[in-house]
Amino acid sequence: MMLRRALLHLRYGPTCWVVVWLAVFAAEKSAWSDGSPLEYAVKATYLHKFAPFVEWPSPAAEFPDGNFTVCVVGSDPLGSLLDRAVNGQSVAGRPIVIRRMARVTGNPDCSVMYVTGSDAQSVTDALAAVRGMPVLTVTDGTTDPAAEGIINFVIADDRVRFDIDNTAATADGLTISSKLLSLAVHVNGGSR
Amino acid sequence: MSTPPPPPRVTPRLWRLTPIIALATVIALLTAGGLMARYVDRANARQEVDEVGVQARILASTVTAALAFNDRQAAQEYVNAIRANPQIEAAAIYDTGGKLFVSYKLAPDVTLPAAVQPGLPRFTDDRLIVAVPVTEGGASLGTVYLRSFTEPFALRLQRYGVIGLLMTMASVVVAVLGVMQLTQRRANEELARRAEQLAATNQALEAQIEQREMAEEALRQSQKMEAIGQLTGGVAHDFNNLLQVILGNLERLGRRLTVGGPARRGDSGGGDGGVGDQSRLIEAASRAAGRAATLTQRLLAFSRRQPLAPKSLDLNRLVAGLLDLLGRTLGETIHVETVLAGGLWRVFADENQLENALLNLAVNARDAMPGGGRLTIETQNVRLDEAYARAQEDLRPGDYILVAVNDTGIGMTKDVLARAFDPFFTTKDIGQGTGLGLSQVYGFVRQSGGHVRIDSAPGQGASIKLYLPRFFELDTLDTPAADPQPVPLGNRHETILVVEDEDDVRSFTRDTLRELGYEVREASNGHEALHALETNPGLRLLFTDIGLPGGLNGRQLADEARRRWPGLKVLLTTGYTRDAVVRHGRLEQGVELLVKPFTEADLARKIREVLDK
Repeated sequence: MMLRRALLHLRYGPTCWVVVWLAVFAAEKSAWSDGSPLEYAVKATYLHKFAPFVEWPSPAAEFPDGNFTVCVVGSDPLGSLLDRAVNGQSVAGRPIVIRRMARVTGNPDCSVMYVTGSDAQSVTDALAAVRGMPVLTVTDGTTDPAAEGIINFVIADDRVRFDIDNTAATADGLTISSKLLSLAVHVNGGSR
Repeated sequence: MSTPPPPPRVTPRLWRLTPIIALATVIALLTAGGLMARYVDRANARQEVDEVGVQARILASTVTAALAFNDRQAAQEYVNAIRANPQIEAAAIYDTGGKLFVSYKLAPDVTLPAAVQPGLPRFTDDRLIVAVPVTEGGASLGTVYLRSFTEPFALRLQRYGVIGLLMTMASVVVAVLGVMQLTQRRANEELARRAEQLAATNQALEAQIEQREMAEEALRQSQKMEAIGQLTGGVAHDFNNLLQVILGNLERLGRRLTVGGPARRGDSGGGDGGVGDQSRLIEAASRAAGRAATLTQRLLAFSRRQPLAPKSLDLNRLVAGLLDLLGRTLGETIHVETVLAGGLWRVFADENQLENALLNLAVNARDAMPGGGRLTIETQNVRLDEAYARAQEDLRPGDYILVAVNDTGIGMTKDVLARAFDPFFTTKDIGQGTGLGLSQVYGFVRQSGGHVRIDSAPGQGASIKLYLPRFFELDTLDTPAADPQPVPLGNRHETILVVEDEDDVRSFTRDTLRELGYEVREASNGHEALHALETNPGLRLLFTDIGLPGGLNGRQLADEARRRWPGLKVLLTTGYTRDAVVRHGRLEQGVELLVKPFTEADLARKIREVLDK
């Protein structure tokens, strides 16, 4: 059960903000559970789908070397799912490239960085390494605040959803669309 | 009689085209109405497309994230918000694969297409369908599908019906105007036709009037001829009688003188047969001649050609002076009264003629009162106003002096009244009246600028009113009538030139003047007269007839003589004046006139008067 407000511009009121209280939720049994391939396929898809809702400080930051670069740091749970997810896709007409790395130092030239951590570098360290840089960091299901990226996947109501740390995003020079923020389960340091 | 051309038709070309113009206007109006309805319909459809399109795009832009991250719940909320617009029958969001993601339906039985791709807006079955793409940052995410009710055809028809009604009304107005124009044009043509008829009728009428006038003119002419015949006949009759008396007496006198008079047997009827008998014959002839002179005077008065010698007169004094004579003339059965107004204005008229007129009227009044009665002569100042003057012939409004002669006699019938002024019209027996009395009065008064009026009815007596114009020159006083005096004589130092073409008259005048003691020279025409004047510088007076032969009449002679010899006295004489002497019925200033026939005494007095002036 959740409450949500949507602001719609309708023709019958020139600038009428209609507050819609929604109290409907039909519980839907998830067909998949934690760690299932479907869950990761969705997550793999989401990585580049965030792009239209995020504004990087500069095109160079969004497209290092001219490409929308999705970096996977640490152990790679997505594997080929990610390759399939971006196959044939593009962001603003730019090709999507995938870079996988065990650890990150300095400027990694990443648009999006999916951090899962590994023995070589913990999630927290990896995040610290790119702090202040215009990189959209995504973590997966952590509950440790220090290990949360700007976007942190969570499973809610048997669906893949996400929390957003808007403060961190702002600190890194990224602007996150309110449309995306409205979908987040939790927003930190909210513009909401 | 010329026929004027018929008036041109006053129907301009434009007016004749009016019905066509009206029809064209109606067609134009209806076409404009149709085009307008069509335009409004189109505009309406465009507006609907715009409105629904805007809503679809709003939905598409809000639903992007929910669609991208497969959040049906959030997407459903957005789609449900469409409910606020009851015009939207269904709304749905399809993913990039064209499959239904979420949907909203106004009613449960509304169906949605299974798959939708973005496309152009289209109208189907009173519905507007809009399908717009959902994009974010250039990435295509799916499609928003909106289906809206459009305005039902009946409703649109109703709206266009109003426009159509207005257009139809306008058309009707225009059509009515056109019809009215047509009717008016026909009416105008009818009017023109009638005007032509009227003009023709008028012409016929004018022709008739013209003919009638000609006929009347002919009638007048014949009446005039009849009147002239009556006049000449009457004059001839009277003159013959008088001439009979004169001739008869002269003949007897002549016989007496040649035979030796008194010795003639049985002629004197026992009288002395001497000088007394002769003088009785002369007296009879003279009396007849005097009556003949009076007769001509009256004729001239009627013809208004008598020479008048008007002067300023006090009518009261004139009437008073007549009373004695009237009393004797009218006899004892007639009681004469005068009602004389005080402060009576003066008139400017010929004294003798005025007395004559009053005497005439008095005699008429006496004749109208055979059994006796009362005669009243009345004087009065009156003012004839514009309205009265206009009703009379040739009368000017203003101040007049009224002299009325009223009697208590038998009065006059309308017929008599109508002919009262006609010459030789008389109600008296033959030989009792000439029929010239009232004519003379009428002629004299009219010539003096006055007006005559008779008020009478049978048994009611008669009132004859003479209106004479007021005279304003107050300084001229009429001199009392001189008593009969001995004939004034002349002397040898006073030379008179007598100019007369008639030998007998000249001889008589010459002899008379010589007997009176004047020195006399003679001339028979104007040129002779001028010559005589040149050769006799001592001439005191020019006595000339007006009608002279030889190209220089008496009037011109007098002018010339007075110019060359300013001290010369001039006396004119005539028996019949035209405007050579009389201008506007008056003698000109400084001209003396002796009217023929004149007696020896008349001549003597006038000559003396002129010489002594």
